[in-house]
Amino acid sequence: MIKTWHFVLVIIIAGVLSLFYKGLWGDPRAIPTVLIGTQAPIVSGPEVRTGEMISTGRFQGKVILINFWASWCLECRTEHENLLALNRRFGSNPDFVMLGINYQDREEDARQYLQVNGSNFDHVRDLKGMISIDYGVYGVPETFVIDQKGVIRYKYVGPLVGQAYSYLTESVLQPLLERRPFPSS
Amino acid sequence: MFIEIGHFAVILALVLSVVGIVSPVLGLKTNRPDWVRIGRQAVTLNFFLVSIGMAAMIYSFLTNDYSVRYVAATSNSKLPIFYKVAGLWGGHEGSLLLWVWILTAYSTLVVWMHWRTQPVTMPYLVSVQSLIMFGFLAMIVFLSNPFERIFPVPLDGKDLNPLLQDPAMVVHPPMLYLGYVGFSIPFAFAMAALFSGRLGEEWIKVTQRWTLFAWMALTTGILMGGYWAYYELGWGGYWGWDPVENASFMPWLVGTAFLHSVMVQEKRKMFKVWNLFLIIVTFSLSLIGTFLVRSGVLSSVHSFATDPGRGLYILVFLSVMLALGFGTLIVRSGKLKSQIELDSIISKESAFLFNNLFFLVAAATVFLVTLYPLLIETLKTAKVSVGPPYYNAVFMPVALGLLLMMGIGPSIAWRKASTDNLKKNFLLPTLIAVIATVAAWLIGIRTVFGMAGALTVSFVASTIFIDFAKISALWARRHEINYLLAFYQAFTNNQRRYAGIVTHIGVLVMVVGIIASTVYQVEKVVPMRIGDTMQLKEYTIRMVGLHEVSGANWTAQEGLFEVYKGEELLTVLRPQKRLYPVSQTPTTEAALYTIHLGHVFLTMPEVGSDSVTVRGLINPLILLVWIGGGIMALGVILNIFRPRMKTP
Repeated sequence: MIKTWHFVLVIIIAGVLSLFYKGLWGDPRAIPTVLIGTQAPIVSGPEVRTGEMISTGRFQGKVILINFWASWCLECRTEHENLLALNRRFGSNPDFVMLGINYQDREEDARQYLQVNGSNFDHVRDLKGMISIDYGVYGVPETFVIDQKGVIRYKYVGPLVGQAYSYLTESVLQPLLERRPFPSS
Repeated sequence: MFIEIGHFAVILALVLSVVGIVSPVLGLKTNRPDWVRIGRQAVTLNFFLVSIGMAAMIYSFLTNDYSVRYVAATSNSKLPIFYKVAGLWGGHEGSLLLWVWILTAYSTLVVWMHWRTQPVTMPYLVSVQSLIMFGFLAMIVFLSNPFERIFPVPLDGKDLNPLLQDPAMVVHPPMLYLGYVGFSIPFAFAMAALFSGRLGEEWIKVTQRWTLFAWMALTTGILMGGYWAYYELGWGGYWGWDPVENASFMPWLVGTAFLHSVMVQEKRKMFKVWNLFLIIVTFSLSLIGTFLVRSGVLSSVHSFATDPGRGLYILVFLSVMLALGFGTLIVRSGKLKSQIELDSIISKESAFLFNNLFFLVAAATVFLVTLYPLLIETLKTAKVSVGPPYYNAVFMPVALGLLLMMGIGPSIAWRKASTDNLKKNFLLPTLIAVIATVAAWLIGIRTVFGMAGALTVSFVASTIFIDFAKISALWARRHEINYLLAFYQAFTNNQRRYAGIVTHIGVLVMVVGIIASTVYQVEKVVPMRIGDTMQLKEYTIRMVGLHEVSGANWTAQEGLFEVYKGEELLTVLRPQKRLYPVSQTPTTEAALYTIHLGHVFLTMPEVGSDSVTVRGLINPLILLVWIGGGIMALGVILNIFRPRMKTP
């Protein structure tokens, strides 16, 4: 006597197990994104501190680094100093621009975070979470690099510390800014 | 030499576990009671053999035997003795050994206690427990061997992960395992019931205390982990929805649903298949938790070693257990028919149904979101966003629903609650809840979270208070004794019920702590130099010094901060930025000052040459989270060790 719930149960269990099986062979940090190699969605919204509207539309032809963060995110704190250092190093290059996207946060919390930790680049508020959805962000911190043609070239999940930071600066940003061929990730 | 004896003992235990699987079933089929007995002895013997393995490992830790690879990896000669023993579960291989040891101890105890009273189901139980033992012992022997030697022998060990060098961390893993593994007992009883066809209420009555104990251990383990995260990781929070935290929370949620729904089967012979289903899910989630933690499929703060080979093994074992559990349930559940339908939607039965529904929705939510990164990786359609705010948004309504059920469930009548019954039990609590919510609004609690909390907590608290008051009054009148004695007698007379209520009180206390420390937390991160002050609500924090200190196996920069309330000096806090030179790991040691059940919490995330970054938090009433946990545990202890029910 086979009932519907038997089928449902078996399908769910088989699904979960095959998911686990697939998961075994991947690095949880290096989640491939369908977005790599595609045109980056335009990001626009009010700046966290000034409220002034910002749109990546006017950065066309530049290398854009987009970093998703939140004040409640603990790993974001660990990469914060590196982000500041990154902008100190590349910020003077007219071909480079860096943008923070504040993700699922309260406005006052985000503002306080920036005030306390300092920041030398602009941050856009993701008002309805649409930017994060466009970029397929599932957690913070997450970082994207967009090239001069507006194509997403690199994505990293997790804080930019240690090797992740040096890989980003030496093997991604430096070659892109010098228009050298860049190993696609 | 001793380590080889331990190794050999564990290999022998692996062989014996095969005997434990086969001989009881074979004995039953061929009607050979002596074979059944052999199975029983195999289980008991396994406990001694794995104990020898444990003793050999602990001995190697205490004698600094770095020729054992595992000891060299998780210990160090300078490590305090306390942590040397804990080093055993400071890594993957040793944790598995502890897991199996707890399993053998449980099995031996169960067999010893129930062999005579449960002659029909016990042989099957021995088989099922031996199968689980086999799964883990095989992994220890073939894939994760803690007894392995290395050559050349290192001069000193690599040290235990400094984050784990903490008293809470010494007890946290064993507690968690006592919980995880403890659920194997009701699981094995359920399987035995399915195999033997004894599908009545017996297995539920026998396992009731075992389940409670496992639940208590898991609860305590989770809360200890939370406390550790709170001050050792310097989060300032105790729960971050980390995949590994979720892995322990999921079996807890379903296990709690199980604890409640078995009562319906006992009283009304309903939910039979459902209860079997719940306990299989609970134990499967325990195994899935082990899989998630040990295979590295998800990224987590718990950063354990990742190894697809081991992961694959656990996955195969998990599949076998799932196929066995759910397969048997599907094949055998045809025999089961719940004869009774719900009489009314307004009844205790349906309150339990809602309780279960909420717990399962909660568990399913956590499950889906935890596995979400895996899912998008597979489907490659990354289009949604998740994070702690998402969890909180989804979880809060479910938690509030559960809280309300906690008020309604214990007092509502079985079968069909009359209007009279509802009025008698819930009119006053509803009034009190409304008044409390208005009062909360008036004193300035204006967040949705805070007000919903005030409403539900006051509702549940007043139902409990009224329940206690009524029963005391009844006993006082009937026996002409004073109220206090009457309360004591009434409580001990139906201790199972009232111990459960004590656990509910613990939950309420915890909820108050969670709400207060979440909604009214104040946080500041400020760069400071000596002489600078920081204002945290009514407290003034003044930095007065920064100097070096050192411990047995670490050195640290220690800040000195005076904490003032107005002009009055309350205390001097000493947060540290430690460095463990052996593993070159820095840690952030928080400093706490307890006041009115809350904390002034200071950490120094960064220490520069002349200035430090100070993170200061006020966490009001946060201690209630763990006090509530203690009360919950007390309730369970009162429940396990309850006297027999007397007639009044």
